Amino acid sequence: MRHQYRHNTINNHQKNWGRNRNTVAFASTVKLGPIMHTVLVALMITVLGLIYLTQATKAYGYDYEARDIDTKIQEISAKKTDLEVENARLTALKSIENSDVAKAMVSPKDVQSIR
Amino acid sequence: MNTSHKRILTLKIVLFFVMAIFVVRLFYIQIIQHDNYVAQASQEQVKKLVVPAKRGEIYALSDGQPVKLVMNETVFTVFADPSEVTEPDAVAKAVKEIAGGSAVENLSEKIRETNRYQVLAKSVSRQQAQLLKKKNLKGVGFQEIVQRVYPEGKLAGQSLGFVNNEGRGQYGVEGYMDKQLAGKDGILQSVTDVRNVPLTIGENNVRQPAVDGTNIVLTIDRNIQSYTERALSRWARKIGATNGSIIVMDPQNGQVLSMANIPNYNPADYSNVPNASVYNNAVVSAPYEPGSVIKTFTVATGIDRGVINANSTYVNTDSIQVADRTIHNASRGQTGTITMQHALNWSLNTGMVTIGERLGNGSEINLNARKTIYDYLHNKFRLGEKTGIELAGEEQGKIISPDNVQGNAVRYSNMTFGQGMNPTMVQVAAGFSSIVNGGEYYKPTVIAGEIDKDGDFKPKEPPKPTHRTISKSASKQAKQMIHNARAAFYSRVDKPGYDIGGKTGTSETLINGRYTDNQTVGTYLGYGGDSIPRYVIMVQVSASGRYFGGNTEVLPIFTDISNWMIDYKKLQPKGESER
Repeated sequence: MRHQYRHNTINNHQKNWGRNRNTVAFASTVKLGPIMHTVLVALMITVLGLIYLTQATKAYGYDYEARDIDTKIQEISAKKTDLEVENARLTALKSIENSDVAKAMVSPKDVQSIR
Repeated sequence: MNTSHKRILTLKIVLFFVMAIFVVRLFYIQIIQHDNYVAQASQEQVKKLVVPAKRGEIYALSDGQPVKLVMNETVFTVFADPSEVTEPDAVAKAVKEIAGGSAVENLSEKIRETNRYQVLAKSVSRQQAQLLKKKNLKGVGFQEIVQRVYPEGKLAGQSLGFVNNEGRGQYGVEGYMDKQLAGKDGILQSVTDVRNVPLTIGENNVRQPAVDGTNIVLTIDRNIQSYTERALSRWARKIGATNGSIIVMDPQNGQVLSMANIPNYNPADYSNVPNASVYNNAVVSAPYEPGSVIKTFTVATGIDRGVINANSTYVNTDSIQVADRTIHNASRGQTGTITMQHALNWSLNTGMVTIGERLGNGSEINLNARKTIYDYLHNKFRLGEKTGIELAGEEQGKIISPDNVQGNAVRYSNMTFGQGMNPTMVQVAAGFSSIVNGGEYYKPTVIAGEIDKDGDFKPKEPPKPTHRTISKSASKQAKQMIHNARAAFYSRVDKPGYDIGGKTGTSETLINGRYTDNQTVGTYLGYGGDSIPRYVIMVQVSASGRYFGGNTEVLPIFTDISNWMIDYKKLQPKGESER
C-alpha cells in the first residue's frame, strides 16, 4: 500500500512537468558569430557609458545653474548696497539741512515752558 | 634553428624589452610619481578662491535709532591700455559723458600715452561702470574696489578713524575694533572648469563661508555730534581759537554722546590732510593741564573726607606759602574769612591748597595729604589712567605719585587747582560724572551695541558702575557747590528751571618746560539736567599766542550746547525746590 502511494506521486510530478513542456522548439535562421557578439557587447557598454555620462554631466549642469543664481544674488546684493548708500546720503543731516523744507523753517519767536 | 626562427626570436626579445620599458616607465609615473602628478593635476584643476568678508558698518544713534555713519561701497577705476584702444576720441567722449567729475584731467592725452596702463576715471559708480561697459570700448577695463563711504561726511571723523589702502583700520573705532569690523575671509576650494566655474566634483572641495565683520552701533548721537561740531567751529571762528575739543557724556552710564575737535578731517579724504596729527582724537589722546576745573575734584575729595563743606571757612590773604613757593590767587580781593563755596565761586587757589592742607595735618600738604589726593585723583577718579574707551590712540596722561621725588608738596598744592598734572579730557569728564551722579564711576564707552544679521539693533548690557569715588552725600553736596559756583555769576544765561552747574578753567601753557604768560588753554566743565544730571559737557580751546579765559571765551560755548541739549533731550523744568 505504501509503495503504491509513492508510485502515484512520482507519476503526478511527471505529468505536471509534461504539461508545461514546450512542444514546439524555436530555431532562428539568423546565426550570430563571435564578432557580432563582441560588437553587441561593445554597443551595450557604450550605451551604458552614455547613460552614465548623461547622469554625471547633469550634476555639472546644476553647478552652472547654482553659479548663475549666485551671480544674480551678488548683483542684487550689490544693488541693495548701492541703494542703502544712496538712502543714507539722502537722509544725512547735510542733505536734510539743505532741503527746501528745512530752508523754509523759521525759529520760534517765543518759547514758554509749563512748570 | 633556421634564420626565420632566429628573426622571430629577435623580434620577440626586442618587443619584450620595448614592453618592459613601457611597463617600467608607467610604474615610475603611476606608482612612484603618483603623488607628484596628482598634486600637479590638482593645481591645474582645483582653484582656491578667497571669499572676502564684508567689513562691518558703523552706526551712530539718532533719537535712540541707529543711523549709518560708515558703510561699504563698490566703486570702479576705469583704465585703458592705449595700445589696444582703436578709437581714442570715442573713449574720451564716453568717459567724459558718463563718469563726469570722476574722469581724470587731460583724458584725450592720457589715452594716447605709450604707457600700457592709464587711469581714465576713479571712484566711478556701478551704474556708470555698467553704462561704460555697454559701449564695448576696446582697450578699456574696469577694476572693482570696495571702499568705505561716509554719508555724514566728516561728522565724528576723529572718533571713527579710517581704513587704509591695505584694508586695516587706523585710529578711532576703526583702529580699536579692526578685528571685529574686518570679519574673517572665507575659502572656496573646488575643481573648476575652464571658465573658473566651481564644480561639485572631487573629494577636496572646501566651502568655508566668509564671516562678515560686526556692525557696530556707537553711543555717539548724530544730532548732538553735529551740533557740538558746528558750535565749536562757530565759536572758534568768533574767538580766534585754532584748536578746540568738546566731549559730551551721559553721567548716568558713561556713554559718550559726542566728541568734537578742531581741526578735524574727512575720513573719506584721509590721505589729503596737511598734518597726520589731525587723525588723533584730542579728547582721548591729548593730555593737558586742565586748570581750575579740577577744583571740583578737590572740593569733592575734601567733602568726602569730611574736612570741609560748603560753609567751612578759611582766611584768604590771596596767597599761600607751600614749602619755598608762594601760590597766588588769579582773582584778587576776596580776602578775609571766606567760605569754601566762596572760594569755589571765585576760583581761589588758596582755598584749594587749604583743602589740601586739611587732608594732611591742617597746616601743610604732607605725605598723608598727598597720598589721599593721589588716591582720589588717580585711583578713584582715574585721572592719569587709560579709561579703556574703545578708541585707538588713547593716551594715559600723568598724575605723579607722592612716592616719586617730583610728587612733593609744591606739585600737590598745584594739583589741587589743576596744574602739575596731565589727564585727558575723557578722564576728567568721566571722573566729573561720578562727582555729580551720586558718586558712581562708569567706564567711558562709545559702544552702544550691534546690528545683528537681521538688521535689528541689539543694545549691549546696560553699563554698571565700576566703583564708588565719593559717598552719595558728598556727591550731593559737591554738585550743589558746583551749581552754586555757576549760578553765582552766570545763572541768567541758563534756561530757567534746570539744574546746571559748572566750573571754569584757565591754565597757563607749558612751552619748553616753562609756563608762558601770553598763552592759555581755556576750559569749561559742567553738567546739566532736570531732577538728575543728564549730561556732562567739557569744552577746551586754545591757539598759539592767545589768551583764552574759561569764563570769558569758553563758558558761552558750554552755555550754547547746554541750552540746546535741554531742548534736544526734551527735559522738563523742575524748579529750584526739586533740585
